[in-house]
Amino acid sequence: MAVLNNPVVAVIVSLIISVGYFLTVDHFMMDMQGLDFWYLFRQ
Amino acid sequence: MGRVIGKRLFSIMALCAMVGLLLLPIVVAMPSLAIGEEATADGAKKEGDKVEKGRDVYYKTEGVVVGAPAPKTTDGPKDYPRYNFESRVLLWFANQQHLYYGSFVLAVPIFCMIIEFMGVVTKDKALAKRYDQLAYDFIKISLTAYSLTAVLGGILIFTFLTLYPAFFSYLSSVFRPVMHIYALMFVAESGTLYIYYYGWDKMKEGFLKWIHLSMSVILNIIGTLLMFLANSWIGFMMSPAGVDEQGRYLGNIWHVIHTALWNPLNLHRILGNMAFGGGVVAAYAAYKFLAAKTDEDRAHYDWMGYIAMALGVAFLIPLPFAGYWLMREVYAYRQQMGITLMGGLLAWLFIIQATMIGILFLSTNYYLWQAMGRMRGAEKYQRYIKYLVFLLACGYMVFITPHTMVMTPAELKAMGGQQHPVLGNYGVMSAKNGGINVIITTTVLSFVWYMRGNKVSTVSWAKFGNIFMGVFFACAYINIIGLAIYGYYIPANVRVGLSVPQVTTTLSCLFFMFALNSMMMKGAKQMGPIEWGKISARSQYALIMLATAFTWMMGLMGYIRSSVRLFWHVNEIMRDNSPWAYTHTVGFAANMISANVLFFWISILFVFWLGSLTAKKAPVEAKVAVPGSVPQPAGSH
Repeated sequence: MAVLNNPVVAVIVSLIISVGYFLTVDHFMMDMQGLDFWYLFRQ
Repeated sequence: MGRVIGKRLFSIMALCAMVGLLLLPIVVAMPSLAIGEEATADGAKKEGDKVEKGRDVYYKTEGVVVGAPAPKTTDGPKDYPRYNFESRVLLWFANQQHLYYGSFVLAVPIFCMIIEFMGVVTKDKALAKRYDQLAYDFIKISLTAYSLTAVLGGILIFTFLTLYPAFFSYLSSVFRPVMHIYALMFVAESGTLYIYYYGWDKMKEGFLKWIHLSMSVILNIIGTLLMFLANSWIGFMMSPAGVDEQGRYLGNIWHVIHTALWNPLNLHRILGNMAFGGGVVAAYAAYKFLAAKTDEDRAHYDWMGYIAMALGVAFLIPLPFAGYWLMREVYAYRQQMGITLMGGLLAWLFIIQATMIGILFLSTNYYLWQAMGRMRGAEKYQRYIKYLVFLLACGYMVFITPHTMVMTPAELKAMGGQQHPVLGNYGVMSAKNGGINVIITTTVLSFVWYMRGNKVSTVSWAKFGNIFMGVFFACAYINIIGLAIYGYYIPANVRVGLSVPQVTTTLSCLFFMFALNSMMMKGAKQMGPIEWGKISARSQYALIMLATAFTWMMGLMGYIRSSVRLFWHVNEIMRDNSPWAYTHTVGFAANMISANVLFFWISILFVFWLGSLTAKKAPVEAKVAVPGSVPQPAGSH
């Protein structure tokens, strides 16, 4: 826990969790509607 | 001992009476429904095998025709008797006033239930008593308003009967059993409300208190069912079902009730009523705060205003999402209806609606920032508020930007088209979804700051928790705005789905960050108590603004929903042939809504004044303090 309280580590860990979470949300929420979130990148 | 048993017995009997009242309409209606079916069957047998069948306009199922076709009305005294005045305006007024009061008296008992429950489960006895007093104050206000609701309901029915007899006759023929159940439910609601109110003092402790609380649950079930039944009528008028193309009833009452828009309307209305009720009670508390002569009174009404505002906003936050669902179902039912609403005749009213929604959230945020002033330790957030103002202002500007402007030919030429070369880009749904989600997320952030204003977390992972919270909110903003921009680069059929991850992002902030904040603030060090009553007068005007904006928006949305039927009484089934079957100008509608709002507020002030007369007569009980404040008075029941 002490390591997590280091600001640099905390920011990196938080970024990994948050970015991962929101990308998952974007992907699955679109997929649930039968739509492709990555549409632009696949063109 | 014998007295306690007697009280318990009385309470259980009262509860049973309420359950009986709740079931009464169903029990009474069952034979009438059965008789109706038998009569139909007998009638069919007598006529031999000649059974006329019709096809449900929505469910596409076949059914035996049991009702008369929708009348084909003509403009004249037979179908549209009138005074020397526009009948629609009279009906509009009666309907709107009944709806305002109906919403208020349905919402307030739900607040009472929540607050009474909080009082029952709170371990702090002083706080429990405080909650109980607050719940009682709420129900007292709604009781006077309840009588007025019933009176306005009567006026509404008479207005229908005298000015639109043909339409009302048709509607009541289709909804015959439902209208009877509705009337009986109203009796059940009244009975339950009076037992709940007058039994408050007799059932204030222990087991009896739980019985009393159960009564509030029953009261709210009845109230909600009442609203659902009334919603079925407007749902039928917008998206009829259970009848054939001539409007003949096909014998399945569930189809008539359960129309395409019934459930979205139910959800939208229940959330709307709650937010409206919270706003009105908060405005009442603000008025009392401003008029208070003592610190004790100011502390009490400050606290009351905060609780009412918090409850109202809790229902306001999901309201736009329920609105999106309703619109989605409108588009699914009839695309043209959706286009009329959001891209055609009524589109400008939606710009006004967006403006009002923005005002609601701005007022809420402003109140919360002002409220931080009564906490020691919350100063640390003050310097960051300007960034929240920036986010809110940007979100708001995008949210209210119209797609096309009303212009003179010269202005049109100067601008080079209907759309502004830069601002025109913000007039599309992709940008607007981003705008409103930024506004709501910022409101969530303001709430989180308010909740931790005078506290310092003592958990071992506090530093990580704070950084995580900051990063999570930052990523949420980036995701919402990123999705809004992304929408410009992908086709419309893919873009339309982006609103769902945007909403999920906002709700993630709401649920996860509230949960994380609660975990971090468990056993937190308090920098000082919340000094109830020590808040700027400006904050109270924000509460009044919140309530007024909500009342105005409710009137506006009611008008939009009703006028989307255009020249139909019942969409595509019964045509409105009165001289007023046209859509009013935006200016006329706005004036009419303002007049309704003004009348409602004047009349509810009268109701509040009546309530204050009873309060003055009540003896004063022991003083109970708001936690962390100066001592408070607690009026007796």
